[in-house]
Formats: sequence, structure tokens, C-alpha cells
Amino acid sequence: MLGCARDIVESAGVPRFVFSDFPLGNSAGKPFDLTSQQGILALALDLLDSARAPRTTVQTPYRWSEDAAWKRDFYKLDMTPEQLAKAREEMDGQKAVLAAKLAGD
Amino acid sequence: MTTTEAPTEFIEATLDLPVRYIDRSRNYYLTLGYDNPYRWAHNTEVPFTPMTRPVREARIAIVTTAAPYNPAAGDQGPWASYNADAKFTRVYSTPIDPAPDLRISHVGYDRKHTSAEDVNAYLPLQRAKEAASEGRIGQLNERLYAVPTLRSQRLTTERDAPEILQLCREDRIDGAILVAT
Repeated sequence: MLGCARDIVESAGVPRFVFSDFPLGNSAGKPFDLTSQQGILALALDLLDSARAPRTTVQTPYRWSEDAAWKRDFYKLDMTPEQLAKAREEMDGQKAVLAAKLAGD
Repeated sequence: MTTTEAPTEFIEATLDLPVRYIDRSRNYYLTLGYDNPYRWAHNTEVPFTPMTRPVREARIAIVTTAAPYNPAAGDQGPWASYNADAKFTRVYSTPIDPAPDLRISHVGYDRKHTSAEDVNAYLPLQRAKEAASEGRIGQLNERLYAVPTLRSQRLTTERDAPEILQLCREDRIDGAILVAT
């Protein structure tokens, strides 16, 4: 498996995990960056060949950026009450859309 | 007595650790006022099947959570906001030639730092085709499989995973690479 959320994947548990310490949405490599895209797939193929036990995690050597500032932003909580209410409203809306889709199946 | 203010910044940014998404999402949903934050899957036993042949001789399939582009479902382009309308609800398979137009606006990726404008960042299909033509993969399966993301572990484990396994068996694949988003 290729992924960017180490804790979530390792909590679920998978046979083989190639972890990239990138923002969510880039499990297969950095955008428009052949080096990381080729390197991550190569690590996945190597891991298929070499793993001997479940929960084998390999962390890729690539960095998203020089510093780790991007890790400040996801699910940030310093919202004003208005921003909070808006986020809640949007989340309720998305949940309703999904519920309707599932009901229509 | 001196008091120290609790740091307001996430420690993963300060120490450059992997982001703890489980903690963050729990706190986020609690702050938003939901009293039942999502319980992430947790298995104490994890299966493992060794490869029966080396990847150079094996048939390998890609499994994605990406969705077919649907012109009727709103913005699915670069920097699209979270779009539940674009979700698909059943396992599907699709030929890899020509490359399908698959998008990820329906999942909760990092909207501030991820543009989703390069499909190769979330779907390694082109890179896998190259690896196959170079001989690193015996055969890349002619179709890929996709598993829906429905916030339901019951649907994933009891309905969708068995369907993916069935597809793998139909195609006689030796190994699969699941790409999470």
C-alpha cells in the first residue's frame, strides 16, 4: 500500500506499507516530480519482493519541502466562531450528500 | 509561580514528525461539535501472503480510491474543495489503456498544500506502465480496480474488499498495490 497517513494506515494494519511524509493526496509522489514518483513505485515493488511479515513499513526518503511548515495547517483549530460554524455547516452538507448517495444505491 | 502557555502549534510541525491524523481529526470533529468522532479502523491481526513469484515475473494490479471524472458532479479540478457529489459508491474496474481520467475531489486530502493537478501524484499508473516496459513488473494488469470511500468500515470490509478480491482472482493477479488518498 502507498500512503501519506502513517498513523491511520498502521492503526488499520496492512501487509506492506510505503509511507511518504507528504501532505495527504500525494501517496504516489510529488506532483510533476519524476524522481519521487519513480522512486516510490520502485520501493513498493522492492517491498513486494522482500517483505517477510505483515506491518512492514518503509518510509520513502523524499521531502515535501525544505521545512515542515506544511504540517501546521491540516485540521487547524484556531478558527473564529463564524469559521467554525461554517465548517460545521459544510461538513453537515457533505455528510447529507453522502447519505443520500448511499440511500439511492 | 510561573506559568507556561501551552504551545499553539502542532508538535509535528515543530519536530518534523509524521502528522498524527487520528488525533487531529478527533479534535477537529469534537471542536466542530460532533460528539461521536470517527473511529479509525484498528486491527490486531494483519494478514500476510508472501509473493509466489518475483515481481519481474508477476502480474500486478493497481487499486485506487480515485473516481471517474463526472462532468455532472461539480468541481473536480485542481484545488477543488471537498466534493461528496463526486463520490462513487460501488467497486469498479476500468481498462488502463487509454489511461482513465480519475480524480480525487471526493476525498479529504490536504486542500492547502495539494493541488491534485498531477494525476501521477495519486495514481502511479504511468510510472507502473514504464516499470512494466522496463521489465521491473512482469505484467501490469490490463485493468485497475477502485474501492469507494464511504466512511463505513462495514461496507469496506464486508462488501467492497471481497469484491476487490474477486476481481483479483478473475484476473489471476499475483500482487496488488493499493494507493490511498
